[in-house]
Amino acid sequence: MSRFNQIMRMALVLAALSLVFAGCAKKPVGTDASQAGLTDGRVAGDVSGYGDGSLRESAVGERDAYGRPGAADIAAALERIHFEYDSYTLSQRAQETLTRNAAYLRANPDVKVLIEGHTDERGSDEYNLALGERRAQAVRNYLVTLGIAAERLSVISYGEELPLDPAGNEDAWAKNRRAEFKPVL
Amino acid sequence: MVRAFTALLLLLTLAAPAAAQIEIRAPGQQTIPLALTQFLPREVTPRPEVAAQIDQVLQADLDLSGLFSFVDPAAFLGDARRIGLLSSEVDFAEWRLLGAEVLIKGTYSVQGDNLVLEARLFDVVRRRLLDGRRYVGRVADARQMAHTFADQILKSLTGIEGPFNSKIAYISNATGHKELYIMDVDGHNSTRLTDHRSIVLNPDFSPVSKELIFTSYKQTNPDLYRKEIYSGREARLSGREGLNISARYRPDGREIALTLSYQGNPDLYLMGTDGSLSRRLTQDWNIDVDATWSPAADRLAFISDRQGGPHVFVMDLQGGSLRRLTPSGTYNATPDWHPKDERIVFTRLEGGRFDIYTIRADGSDERRLTFGAGSKEHPRWSHDGRFIVYSSTQDGRKAIFVMRADGTGARRISPGGGEASHPAWSGPWR
Repeated sequence: MSRFNQIMRMALVLAALSLVFAGCAKKPVGTDASQAGLTDGRVAGDVSGYGDGSLRESAVGERDAYGRPGAADIAAALERIHFEYDSYTLSQRAQETLTRNAAYLRANPDVKVLIEGHTDERGSDEYNLALGERRAQAVRNYLVTLGIAAERLSVISYGEELPLDPAGNEDAWAKNRRAEFKPVL
Repeated sequence: MVRAFTALLLLLTLAAPAAAQIEIRAPGQQTIPLALTQFLPREVTPRPEVAAQIDQVLQADLDLSGLFSFVDPAAFLGDARRIGLLSSEVDFAEWRLLGAEVLIKGTYSVQGDNLVLEARLFDVVRRRLLDGRRYVGRVADARQMAHTFADQILKSLTGIEGPFNSKIAYISNATGHKELYIMDVDGHNSTRLTDHRSIVLNPDFSPVSKELIFTSYKQTNPDLYRKEIYSGREARLSGREGLNISARYRPDGREIALTLSYQGNPDLYLMGTDGSLSRRLTQDWNIDVDATWSPAADRLAFISDRQGGPHVFVMDLQGGSLRRLTPSGTYNATPDWHPKDERIVFTRLEGGRFDIYTIRADGSDERRLTFGAGSKEHPRWSHDGRFIVYSSTQDGRKAIFVMRADGTGARRISPGGGEASHPAWSGPWR
């Protein structure tokens, strides 16, 4: 009975979120979502030891066996945010996005996420690693002030190593200065 | 891997110190006229490819040194084709006529897989041998033998050995992932050392053993690793939560300065070579990265944004005092302290491009070394302080370049394929 309630609640939240997203700028379904899907596949397939002969295969859906959202689901629900050059200050827009992300995390108390901090290619690699960490920490701190338990939020910095757009122009740099959310399964 | 060749270094004649006789000036100023002859075969069947390799290595190394002007080989007379290697056999008058002040002659002998080089450096003006070396090894070691002789030539003429027979480590994404590579200082014999298939960054050579430390995301987090170059053995040295980055060996190899963020902020720490922390150097909300040791290991230069944008600061490790070194620019990065002098090379971001500068450790005498197209980053000194290796995008894709300490003589050295960055120059490679 309670599981049914949970599923219903989830469905409602998702429906609400999809309405919210429909009103936002279109988010490209890029490599992030597919990477998250891959993670799912590994978790399902790689647990058995090498050579034990009992190959098990199971379909990986949007929900796990307990009706909780899967990795692709979480990745799609949590929007990335962007930063100004050489800054880890959260803009008004970033704060609004994080408020929506916090609502999702509150509605899905089992979900844990890794916050990735990224920079554009300008600047030195090491300084950017530190700056990326600052951005991820700023996001975590803000989510904590919105009531999300710090234990559910881990951070990592990739500096300028994983640009969304490898081009060397203002548009690409603006896209690349970001924090992203990856589900921790 | 590169096999160390057995070098029988025989100082054939005990020549008196020559440095006093031949006057050496700063690179790029007045040069010494040098006649570099092709090494001649001892056997009946010559191996012109061996001679050409030796000639090419010596020519490139000595040219990079900036100390020499080459006498045009087309003008060489009969002595260049005579095998005689004793000073009594050399026709010095002939070389004098061509304007040469120093002369390089040599012979080679190939027996199966084995190679013997006889190499001589003569003072034409005083008609005598300055340095004589015999190298015994394999044919595949020909380049290494020639690099070693080039190092000796600089030692004979200036008192300070050259860095040509050392190594350069760098990062390349040629496989699709950033991995660690090692190559000769002229870009030959490039070999990949890691297969982490994640992101490998920012190597540094141990000054005392054939090891490298670097950061890698191999186990998800940016951790610090140590790798033995010949055995390939590798260990994680620091896997603390958060950043384990920009690690640099103390000049005696006994300690490592690096940036860690496990206590919340990216701060500087000193760590033993076993990974245990010995000291926390900074403790504030600012970003502190890119530490580099002074030659006496009594000070560190590093990058901090404690006064606005990133700038170079110098910290006294005894007193703990801190001083901003670079008053100019809005974004300074990646300092590297000269191995012997009070000079620091660093980069400055201006107009979207990095260029390379040097400054004295007291903040005086700032000089800009690079100009023109492309972004130049990650400068590191050679172990003798004569050269700087760095990455540049001037040819499009990022590649490794070498130039003289005064910014002249820049040349690309890294092989094609992928983007190459983060060079580091080894100590003497014996």
